[in-house]
Amino acid sequence: MIESILLVDDEDLFHLVFEDACSLLDISLSLKSVNSSDEAAKMFKQWFESGDHKEKPECVFVDLNLIGSAFDGIELVRKINFEYGNHVVIGIISSSNEPSEQAKALQAGAQFWLVKSDEIEPRLEEFRKDYPKFKNRTSKFKIYK
Amino acid sequence: MIKFSVNTKKLLIDLYKSKSIGLEGNILKLIDDEGDSEFSEYIKTCTDNDKESRKKRLEITKQIQKKNTELELLNSENTRILGELQTTLDDSEFDKKQIEFQNNELLSWKEENERIQQELQYEMERTISAREDAEHAKANALSDLDLLQKKIQTELMGDIVKVALGVIAFVAVVTTGMYIFSMIVNKETNTIGPAWTNMFGILLTNAFSIVGTIMGVKYATKDKNNDC
Repeated sequence: MIESILLVDDEDLFHLVFEDACSLLDISLSLKSVNSSDEAAKMFKQWFESGDHKEKPECVFVDLNLIGSAFDGIELVRKINFEYGNHVVIGIISSSNEPSEQAKALQAGAQFWLVKSDEIEPRLEEFRKDYPKFKNRTSKFKIYK
Repeated sequence: MIKFSVNTKKLLIDLYKSKSIGLEGNILKLIDDEGDSEFSEYIKTCTDNDKESRKKRLEITKQIQKKNTELELLNSENTRILGELQTTLDDSEFDKKQIEFQNNELLSWKEENERIQQELQYEMERTISAREDAEHAKANALSDLDLLQKKIQTELMGDIVKVALGVIAFVAVVTTGMYIFSMIVNKETNTIGPAWTNMFGILLTNAFSIVGTIMGVKYATKDKNNDC
């Protein structure tokens, strides 16, 4: 089970869906949700600069298009991976299944791409099974669609 | 894992039994029942209840999310239709302005036509007036010409009459003179007498004939002018 997950998504309703799905599937014990990439970047920057990793999540799900944010999900992934010390399992969660965007996400250091839809539980279940490999960095970039 | 004392476990179980209030959320996953079957049953019941309520909430949230998506689609469709309506409205406004512009042009043309028509009417009236003037002038000229012709004719006739009468008078005087001279000098008048008589008769006849002809011509000319 993943100890803590951070969800970065501008849609509040999806926060509830994701939280309930994760709880029902026993994916995580704690889940924190934020609405913008700016807020998430600020948190990671703070953890990186203070060296305090207690509150740092184990896994991060980032929405691709974040309305009202200064930059999109792929840029946030890049910042977390290359500017804020990494050490998290990070990937994109989006309703888009665009290969060009997926290639960009891979380049930014994303480990997975999970396609958002009404039935998200089967994909999360599959992700849960693959999670140890992501954590050990032994899994290649994977798309859950 | 979290461990509870026996009293706390009993308190939690009693609370659930009396008021149906149980633990919920991810904390249930962290509680150690320590082999207590009753507390284990309590934890399982609470976990099942929590899952059930989460399932319900998940379903409801999904339905709301679906409705939201549909509403967003409808909204974007409405926006598109509104945009199209706005475009159509703008086009109509443009067409209206074009029609108004064309109407104004037509009105301007109509006014111009009316002005030209009035000018033409005025020119036509002037032309008619000029034509009437010309006809009057022509009539006057014809009348003047006729008068001139008549005058010339009359003068000519007067001259002819004068010459003719002169010739007649001259011949009469000469013949009469010769006849008188013959009688004075006692010469033979057998020839000149009848000759004088015949000639005098002829001269008078011719003189009357000339006068009659002139009168006849004058009368005929007068009738012809009246007929025209």
